[in-house]
Amino acid sequence: MTKQEMLKDVEPRPRSTIVWATAVALILLPFVVSTPLATEILIWSIFALGFNLLLGYTGVLSFGHAAYFGLGAYTAGLTLRYWHVGLWTSLAMGTAASMLLACFIGLVAIRRRGVYFAMISLAFGQMLYFLALSPLKDITRGEDGLTHIPSVNLFFISLEEPRNLYYFILAITVLMLYMTWRILQSPFGRLLQAFRENEERAKACGYNTTLVKFFSLVLSACYGGLAGSLNTLYLGYVPLTTLFWLTSGTIVMMTVLGGKGTFLGPLVGVAVFLFLQNTISLFTPRWELFVGAIFVMIILLFPGGIMGTIQEKYLNRKMIRLQKKAATG
Amino acid sequence: MPSFLQEVSPPAGSKGRIMLSDVSWSVILMQLFFGLALGSIFVLLASGLSIIYGLLDIVNFAHGAFAMLGAYVVFLAVSLSGSFAIGIVSAIVIVAIIGMMVEFFLLKPLYGKDPLLPLLLTFGLSVAIPDLIKIAFGLIGKPVPYPEALSGATTVGPLILSNYRLFIIFFTLAILVSLWLFLKKSDLGMIMRAATRDSLMVQVLGTNTSRIWTTGFGIGIGLAALAGAISVPMMSATPDMGVEMTMVAFVVTVVGGLGSLGGAIVGGLLIGVIVAFTSLIAGEYSNVAMYFCMAVILLIRPRGLFGEIGRE
Repeated sequence: MTKQEMLKDVEPRPRSTIVWATAVALILLPFVVSTPLATEILIWSIFALGFNLLLGYTGVLSFGHAAYFGLGAYTAGLTLRYWHVGLWTSLAMGTAASMLLACFIGLVAIRRRGVYFAMISLAFGQMLYFLALSPLKDITRGEDGLTHIPSVNLFFISLEEPRNLYYFILAITVLMLYMTWRILQSPFGRLLQAFRENEERAKACGYNTTLVKFFSLVLSACYGGLAGSLNTLYLGYVPLTTLFWLTSGTIVMMTVLGGKGTFLGPLVGVAVFLFLQNTISLFTPRWELFVGAIFVMIILLFPGGIMGTIQEKYLNRKMIRLQKKAATG
Repeated sequence: MPSFLQEVSPPAGSKGRIMLSDVSWSVILMQLFFGLALGSIFVLLASGLSIIYGLLDIVNFAHGAFAMLGAYVVFLAVSLSGSFAIGIVSAIVIVAIIGMMVEFFLLKPLYGKDPLLPLLLTFGLSVAIPDLIKIAFGLIGKPVPYPEALSGATTVGPLILSNYRLFIIFFTLAILVSLWLFLKKSDLGMIMRAATRDSLMVQVLGTNTSRIWTTGFGIGIGLAALAGAISVPMMSATPDMGVEMTMVAFVVTVVGGLGSLGGAIVGGLLIGVIVAFTSLIAGEYSNVAMYFCMAVILLIRPRGLFGEIGRE
């Protein structure tokens, strides 16, 4: 084998089989855990997939991503309740609203350095939260949340049935998984990874790094808006917590826990996080302490997250095998 | 609304919106006074954050959590000893020590690696620490009474200025002056300033930067603890007060300029006054006001009022 072929073998690029295998696994999920938990896992997975594109692949940390989730949720809720739109329209509008918000925030802030952007995105997230809490209370109903959202039907199937809703969201999740996979395979995906490895070098090669970051932000916001809209369908109402900073923090924790920059990391992180949260809550309401402490330990010991660490081990073994082959062959 | 904003709201009976006819010079000056007091706390928070960032390149997400710890230490100390002074001193010392241990055991292993890791770690702490406090102290806020010597008010012309707020303003001033003297005149201060500019050079010249960083972190945390400590009589020690304080520190830092102490001071007072007046004129926007300022600064002068180009 030539050296190029050997290196290509080492670099882990997700194959399409991963998408389909995951889809199959997710089909069986509601039989393993409760349907509500499974639905939540799907919704947050979509959110995390997009967030991972921004954090794990582009290397930009946004600490106010709840803004996109919440805005999508409220937009979907409001259009469903007051404009009586259909299912697809509400989802589309939720996604579009978040996309527009991201365009605005991106125009204002994406040029800033990493830590600066993290703080700025956090503050924008807070601004949206407080706007929804007080001045815009007439629209958002403030702390009570937006209720009385009519149920929707997918053609003739009622989506109020939890199982029906789950499989509908599953279909969308698989679609997003596939889309993410395609994005990563595309030249843009490759550019993202080059960018993450060495931003300066990518710039030197002539790529417009600001545009890359901007596009990544908007893309991840679309995922967030879609997830928020689906969340509205799932809950049947829109709580103010969708905009709260803890939501932003949660998506960060989930993504890093699962392994930022890996393909399945977001899903794994979401599943583990929600599972931990649910299980610990059975014993104590202080689940944040445990999850926070676990998160701190992950950062110290396994910064690659679950999938990242597994990938490293797998990579190492492959490297060793290839080295042996090269030495003997 | 965030607890500390209650302090600058107009008195009961005005529902957060004052008609123009009510506004007189004394009302304006009173709100200015409130704003300066609030701003002083903001200044303490932001300068701590700025020092930590300038020295260590770490955005301390748990900054507010340490301030919250300061508040609880004051509560404990006052319950045990009855003296507010002891409360403040122990808050600063104890929480600064905790901070230095955090830096030594949790943050130091991360230096040299992905720069996002320390930020994420402090974020994890900001989630875990409040819950720890909830276990130890419960969910309900712990009130601390105003110290005898500082209660009541002083009358200056038509203005009734609460003694405690006067204390906050002057005490912060004193702390800032001491900080300035320390940074400018003392050996350690000079080394710290040098390390902020060029830590590699300082290392090459033979200084143990590791200890400088730990100490610097401790000072930053001490300032945060002080902020939490002196705000406690006004708003009780609650486990979740840290979040608002971290946000405030971030906003002021962006407005003033990351890494600039002068910016933290000017920014803090400015934001404090703006929040106070927003509270007077349009109460429901008082929370949003400071984020709005931040957005404006980002649009017209992204590096902040005193920030250096290139650091943004």
